[in-house]
Amino acid sequence: MCIYVLLPSGTMNDIQPINETTVSMRHSIRRTAALLLAFIACFSFPLSAMALEGEYIAIRKEGAGRIALVLGKPLAEGGKASAWSAELDREIREGLAFTGIFNMIPPPMNLFETGASGKRTLNFGALNSIGAEIFAGGSLSAEAGQVKLSMAVYETFGAKPILSKVYTGRPDNLRAIAHAFSADLVQLLTGRRSVFGSSIVFVSNRSGFKEIYSCAFDGSSLSQLTRSRSISLTPSLSPDGTRLAYTDYSSGRPGLKIMNMADRRVSSVRQSGVSIDPGWRSNAEVATTLSFEGDQDIYLVRPDGTLARRVTSSRGIDLSPSFSPDGTKMAFVSARFGNPQVFILDLGTGQTRRLTYNGNYNTQPSWSPAGDKIAYTTMEKNGEINIFTIRPDGSGATQLTSGARENESPSWSPCGDMIVFTSGRQGQKKLYVMNANGENQRRLLQMEGEQMQPSWSFIR
Amino acid sequence: MKKSVYGFLALALMFTAGCSSKNAVAPSGADEASAPAPAEAPAPVSSVASGPSGYGFDEYQTGPLGDVFYEFDSSELAADAQAQLQQNATWMGSNAAASTMIEGHCDERGTSEYNLALGERRAATAKEYIVRLGIPSSRIETVSYGEEKPFATGHDEAAWSKNRRAHFILK
Repeated sequence: MCIYVLLPSGTMNDIQPINETTVSMRHSIRRTAALLLAFIACFSFPLSAMALEGEYIAIRKEGAGRIALVLGKPLAEGGKASAWSAELDREIREGLAFTGIFNMIPPPMNLFETGASGKRTLNFGALNSIGAEIFAGGSLSAEAGQVKLSMAVYETFGAKPILSKVYTGRPDNLRAIAHAFSADLVQLLTGRRSVFGSSIVFVSNRSGFKEIYSCAFDGSSLSQLTRSRSISLTPSLSPDGTRLAYTDYSSGRPGLKIMNMADRRVSSVRQSGVSIDPGWRSNAEVATTLSFEGDQDIYLVRPDGTLARRVTSSRGIDLSPSFSPDGTKMAFVSARFGNPQVFILDLGTGQTRRLTYNGNYNTQPSWSPAGDKIAYTTMEKNGEINIFTIRPDGSGATQLTSGARENESPSWSPCGDMIVFTSGRQGQKKLYVMNANGENQRRLLQMEGEQMQPSWSFIR
Repeated sequence: MKKSVYGFLALALMFTAGCSSKNAVAPSGADEASAPAPAEAPAPVSSVASGPSGYGFDEYQTGPLGDVFYEFDSSELAADAQAQLQQNATWMGSNAAASTMIEGHCDERGTSEYNLALGERRAATAKEYIVRLGIPSSRIETVSYGEEKPFATGHDEAAWSKNRRAHFILK
């Protein structure tokens, strides 16, 4: 697991400095070689360091601010490897910055120090003095056409190693290597699943028809999933990411479709008639609004299209199911008292209670993966639509967007750190992401036409 | 202008009364304003045109059946809407081979999932009203387009009021 393979003999002229800011190292080949040796020393601990994860999370205060991280560019030898290293460094930086949970600090000038024995080691004193909490660095080599990235992570206070792991992959897919490391780092530091490896499905009218597309968490890897040339709406991925439920008009009316994501085969759930806005309760059940019995109520449907049971029975519209992580409770929209409000149904007791009381138009509930919050949208008197979060007990309503036209369709990242949503703040509806507290709002992807109704899910 | 249509309206309502005589159930949500009225006492509904112009007929409706319009976030049938539906039922009654598709539409405000459900209710209330006037349910289909297919493209009440409708298409 250690990286003794890294240092072949030969010229060191192409070795890059740790980071552009470590200018003093740029001209010293010998010092660079020493750095590599230092890294070898650093990395000489087994993968079982992963077991320290729980301990680390325990000492990190809940709700603490951003994690102060120093990221060293992977050391590499040779032009090709150096180019890979630069790209990996960029991908890791962009990925970690995207999560919004890091404060990325440039490495200090004296990142390494020489001990009494002449051995160079990481200068944890320097790292601590610039406020770093975590240092991550490593080295890169090529082996049999594969790129091998060896990474080590330290808690700087106490110079404690908390992760050492080797990642290998193809040179034409360095992003996958970068995201694999980034996923481990975020999970190590937060104890939660990260956005890396997750996908967002959404609707776009780019082709002239509303079709469903997917992209990676950061807006890359755009893919068109449906080509029905009718109207496809409200995509929702099953928790395991293997199935996509959505509504489309290819039969002439809005109907429930379920796509197998592996082969993209689509099955129609036709026996239930008109269907609106599906939401998964588990991998085995999807809820949707059906009206074949006259009123618009929410039913649980199995992926094979058979009805499991009806779960609401109020007079009037019941819509937009979103379940608590354990599947025992369902947030939904009901117009049972006239205008749309969010309610919570306890599937065990059958009891329903109203969640939202502010305003006359509250829709689009989305239950967070941790279960502690529900995001929803409010249409304000001035026509703006804004995103709020509220605790399931109805307390702590917090407004996340304001003064930016329509902000709709909130959907949580698998880790619960972020929310993807639709906004018309720049005219056309586009996808945006923000931190769960509303900070750091920015466009997700550049794409023609309008994009809307994003749904974020984990796919491996 | 409004008064000029009362004559036709009264006739239409008389015919409607004939149609609905087979149906003991009163139109849902109907009040005295929409109840069949004797010819000598025009019904106090506000305005329904005698032909393909006026309340239910605009540049977006070319068939013999007029559209009906709704308030924001509502599927309730106002007096004008009920009068138009009575006129549509009259036409359906005298054209027994005809069947219609009622599309429920919404304006762009609000959220699209809810508008899909609201459009379904709008089409359903329009259908229910006509069925209660005696037109067989089998001759009327419904579909909701929510806010997906707006008629007027503006972003003000002038456009929105045209988009909140049950749109009748002759099949």
